[in-house]
Amino acid sequence: MAALEVQLPSLLASMVEEGSVFSMQAETLAEAFRSISENHPKLALHLFDESGGLRRHVLCFHNDANTRWLETLDVPIRSGDSLLFMQAVSGG
Amino acid sequence: MSVTVVIGTDRGGFVLRSDERRRKWKIDGPIFKGWKLTAVTRAANGVWLAGTTSDVYGCAIHTSHDLSQWRQIDHGPSYAEGGERKLTQIWKLLAHDGECYAGVSEAGLFRSRDGGETWQPLDGLNQHRTRDAWCPGAGGLCAHAILVDPKNAKRIWCGISAVGVFRSDDGGESWHTKNDGVPVILEDKNHPDIGYCVHALAQDPDQPERIYRQDHQGVFRSNDAGDHWERIENGLPSGFGFPIVRDHRGGALFTVPLESDEYRIPIDGRLRVFRSRDAGESWTPLSEGLPSKHVYASVMRGAMDADQLDPCGIYVGTTSGDVFVSADAGDHWTVLPYRLPRIHCLTAIAEV
Repeated sequence: MAALEVQLPSLLASMVEEGSVFSMQAETLAEAFRSISENHPKLALHLFDESGGLRRHVLCFHNDANTRWLETLDVPIRSGDSLLFMQAVSGG
Repeated sequence: MSVTVVIGTDRGGFVLRSDERRRKWKIDGPIFKGWKLTAVTRAANGVWLAGTTSDVYGCAIHTSHDLSQWRQIDHGPSYAEGGERKLTQIWKLLAHDGECYAGVSEAGLFRSRDGGETWQPLDGLNQHRTRDAWCPGAGGLCAHAILVDPKNAKRIWCGISAVGVFRSDDGGESWHTKNDGVPVILEDKNHPDIGYCVHALAQDPDQPERIYRQDHQGVFRSNDAGDHWERIENGLPSGFGFPIVRDHRGGALFTVPLESDEYRIPIDGRLRVFRSRDAGESWTPLSEGLPSKHVYASVMRGAMDADQLDPCGIYVGTTSGDVFVSADAGDHWTVLPYRLPRIHCLTAIAEV
């Protein structure tokens, strides 16, 4: 298990007790997503939809990598990694 | 005696409070800052329920005892994971005795029997035999109107845009289309009993079989619980509009006609509320205090409400964020000194 820092947009900060930044333990990205669903259901409702994947306009970056572009979520987590959620903003 | 008006907008909610005179108002908020507040009701136990949504983050239901501190519930309305339906908005929340109903998009109806903590789908409607032919209207495929017979809680109505009105007589187990007398707007080849575009419903609590319907195709009344509908537009400049509201104690009806479904703006740039004191037989314009020219904002289906006082207060929120208040059943109006975001819903509650 490695420690991972999760960063949330301010609109979602009230969904977890810790606020907009919190830590979690996971071995892989897939496990991190699963852990969010299991341990933070109020937050998960707003990140994931009925498909089980990220909502269409939610972006997630594992360090510098857009997770949507990854071929698999079985990516190892290293201690100190970050997981940044943000809304996909385009246009005005 | 106090009156509370909760206003849901594109960017959050606002709470207005006044005494029974309803002349001076205090505003609090925003609550749910940044979220679209789309539906508000208060359950029989006094707990407030609110539906929020975001184009990015989806929707949720929250509860509060004081309209200030809110808690998102864990087990709100939901569609099956892996299925094709997605929950996009809570359009209507209705509390009736110990039950709460939520009308949602994609169109569906859910019920809670524990004060809004958990919700169950009413699959007799959500999986109706016509479901595959339901086609979204301009506002999406949304279940936005709910009535429960105050004398018979097993009788429930639900209105779905571009689909029509449904009624259940067995507590939500089975549902039947109720659109006879209303012109169809989007005829379906296989299911001629759907394709009707209800915009809002209202009910006479003393004669619950008498219900009123602001439809895409006009204003209608049914005296037999929706089995048949008749047009009631005498005095209205247009049958098109979105909200229809009934005064709880005085019995008057209120609607806000707009210029046709093509234009959807106040007729001649005048914002006028129309009132009927004879169950829709005739309508009279109310304009004293309302802007008489250059108003091109409209009023959404959930953005008008009446409080429970006599004479009733009527509250109208517009798409340009104005709030108009009448403390005398519509005879005189005042615009409140706020310019809010686009107003989606408005709920007025008077209490001792």
